[in-house]
Amino acid sequence: MSESIRRTGSETMPQHVAEVAPRVRKGNLYAQLMRNPEWFTVGLIVVTCLVVGSLNPRFFQFATLFDMLHSATTVSLFALGTLVVLASGGIDVSFTAIAALTMYSITKAVFAWWPECPFALILLAGAIGGVVLGVINGMLVHRLKAPSLIVTIGTQYLYRGLLLTFVGTQFFMNIPHSMDTFGRLPLFFYHTPDGLRAVLPVSVLALVIAAVVTWWLLNRTMMGRGVYAMGGSLAIAERLGYNLRAIHLFVFGYTGLLAGVAGILHVSTNRLANPFDLVGTELDVIAAVILGGARITGGTGTVVGTLLGVVLVTLINSVLILVGVPSTWQKVIIGAFILVAGTLFALGRRQ
Amino acid sequence: MPKTDMTTTTPLLEVVDIHKRFTGVYALRGVSLAFERGQIYHLLGENGCGKSTLIKIISGAQPPDEGELVIEGVRHSKLSPLESLSAGIETVYQDLSLLPNMSVAENVALTSELAEHAGRLARTFDRRALAQTAARALEAVGLPGDANFQKTLIEQLPLATRQLVAIARAIASEAKFVIMDEPTTSLTQKEVDNLIAVLARLRADGVAVLFVSHKLDECYAIGGEVIVLRDGQKMAQGPIENYTKAQISELMTGKHLSTERYRAQGEAGATQVVLDVQGLGRKGQFADVSFKLHKGEILGVTGLLDSGRNELARALAGVAPADMGTVTLDGMRVRLHSPADAKAQRIGYVPEDRLNEGLFLDKPIRDNVVTAMIASLRDRFGQIDRKRAQELAERTVKDLQIATPDVDKPVQSLSGGNQQRVLIGRWLAIDPRVLILHGPTVGVDVGSKDIIYRIMQRLSKEGIGIILISDDLPELLQNSDRILMMKKGRVANEYRADRLNEADLYHALLSEAA
Repeated sequence: MSESIRRTGSETMPQHVAEVAPRVRKGNLYAQLMRNPEWFTVGLIVVTCLVVGSLNPRFFQFATLFDMLHSATTVSLFALGTLVVLASGGIDVSFTAIAALTMYSITKAVFAWWPECPFALILLAGAIGGVVLGVINGMLVHRLKAPSLIVTIGTQYLYRGLLLTFVGTQFFMNIPHSMDTFGRLPLFFYHTPDGLRAVLPVSVLALVIAAVVTWWLLNRTMMGRGVYAMGGSLAIAERLGYNLRAIHLFVFGYTGLLAGVAGILHVSTNRLANPFDLVGTELDVIAAVILGGARITGGTGTVVGTLLGVVLVTLINSVLILVGVPSTWQKVIIGAFILVAGTLFALGRRQ
Repeated sequence: MPKTDMTTTTPLLEVVDIHKRFTGVYALRGVSLAFERGQIYHLLGENGCGKSTLIKIISGAQPPDEGELVIEGVRHSKLSPLESLSAGIETVYQDLSLLPNMSVAENVALTSELAEHAGRLARTFDRRALAQTAARALEAVGLPGDANFQKTLIEQLPLATRQLVAIARAIASEAKFVIMDEPTTSLTQKEVDNLIAVLARLRADGVAVLFVSHKLDECYAIGGEVIVLRDGQKMAQGPIENYTKAQISELMTGKHLSTERYRAQGEAGATQVVLDVQGLGRKGQFADVSFKLHKGEILGVTGLLDSGRNELARALAGVAPADMGTVTLDGMRVRLHSPADAKAQRIGYVPEDRLNEGLFLDKPIRDNVVTAMIASLRDRFGQIDRKRAQELAERTVKDLQIATPDVDKPVQSLSGGNQQRVLIGRWLAIDPRVLILHGPTVGVDVGSKDIIYRIMQRLSKEGIGIILISDDLPELLQNSDRILMMKKGRVANEYRADRLNEADLYHALLSEAA
């Protein structure tokens, strides 16, 4: 009774094979959106700009853009780190605590021991501090095989507790000279018609550099591919020979690095070192990355999408005031956007 | 096919006297095998005979307790996954092990790239070389190698194509030994034929293939050597044509099995119609499906993967509801808009993908059995009556011959055939009027198949109407009264199962005319 099968089997030619090959889903709007969720973010940004701009034409000037870039720098660095963690299938809520611990400790140390320390060294110290704290996260996640959410909730409390207990609780209203100078350094400035000086601070360069480096790491190195592989499936990635330990350490170490740098920049541009700062804004950052199209379940997300997500959130946070909407509405609008985006992506996936 | 003798007479791979125990239980007991280049080996045996353990040891996923592996004369006491890959041993796992979020090209070519550089991650990769490797491998298995297809994400591809992508990955590097773990379970006949053509090409290139399958017919169609394992020991090895199917079954199970019809002649059952489906359809998937199912009848439904057979099953189970047509149960029109509706109408559904859609794998057998009828186990305080649950589960285990010492064991500790019986048992607990069995013996060994068939016949005698959806043609012919052939979303034909042979049914399945 296997005669018929045998006959067909031996006569099957290669070109026959291609017949079962590509039946790729194509075409419809949802499928397109699933592949490029960034377009949805772009749409929301455009709509928000048009609405705000039509109500208050002053919105369309460089000063607004400068302001937004300024306030987006710290969030962007956090968001790029969060993107890497989400892509690897994990989640990190401790990065704000890492930033707070490194920025405050370093500022205090510089004041106490070396007030003339050059800014480059301070930044480097922030980066190293961030990497160390991040690698601790990575080791714990890998060793304990525990969900990274649990581990980083733990370390968030730990890092913040250490900061407030052992380092200090007082604000520094003035900061080391080199940090202050860096914070005031303009990359570009001009005078607005009403005589104000609109400044684009140099720290914005950090945003650009971090975005390019993160893009390159994720898309051009084996480590970056490993991050997505692990985010696709931990078990499969391991079976295929990816070194999960290295990937875990990289992912959390890199997030820590960005957080450390973000902390130092935050102090420099705000000219204030507040140990109670930053912690509590994790969800805003994660919301921005999700609005940028990354899935909370891991394995996806792009640098461009993440930056767009940050733009959208920053836009809502900073421009609503221009059109006279009370700032408490920011949360309502961001919440609504997330629900709309979530619904749309969920529907797309079900198709 | 002649063995390609490459400069040397040492076998490509030898496993020597391998032992493996799991918490005191032997999985392998002194298995020794030699694999030559350009030969195809069929590893056969019932679930639990040690097949998967052997594969895991060769692919480096687990170390052996005793014994050694000899690759082209070099002896190893164990292998790591990377060592195994570097030695040219590639495995196409049953779950395919593809990363759904990554592109075809990356899935095909990154693994060999990784193995070539000993797993180092801190470096860039040559994207052009990657694309070339991917194109070569994809074309070798008959898939398009163009940039567009390479960029497609795995999650956008149908299962059969993923299967081929997984094989492309296996041969992307200088594969010398390819292990395929049940690669045909999710394929239709036509796709299996494609796979067989690919195997022939691999073999011609001097690659050795270890093929694991439950489908004996396919093994004969492919040809090569057969290796039979039973209880962790090698029972036989030799050219497959030297053994009859009955002999192989006997070697595998240790007992004699019949291959004739399970369904008694003309057992059409009572004339009372239990299920009447008229003009049923779901947009874009199937349309205008009408049939009647009688009390105690077994109705087979088959077709190719795109025929709508799977979608019909899911619509009747309320999983993906129909949007056209009517369903009448015992003379009453019913709505089947959700699985809960179907359950309330006492329609049981045993899905094809029992691991993902059917079972709570880490929960006890008892919980899995009682889950469909949990509401009726409530006592007056709304608590679950544990004693009754226990009794029910124990009765089901006994009734369906589920091999377990204890209903507290998690379902994942059972073999595929026993898991399937747990699922059937769950639906028996609601006293079903209609039972939909979707691929009930996929991934199930010969002995278990026999038991499942006997259970199916017994249930039909008890008056349950059974819809058997399957692409296993002998299974349909052996068990059903009538067979509906679906094509392109419609019922193309209806056959009396006792007046048909497999060759005719296979021909009808592949013919284009509706």
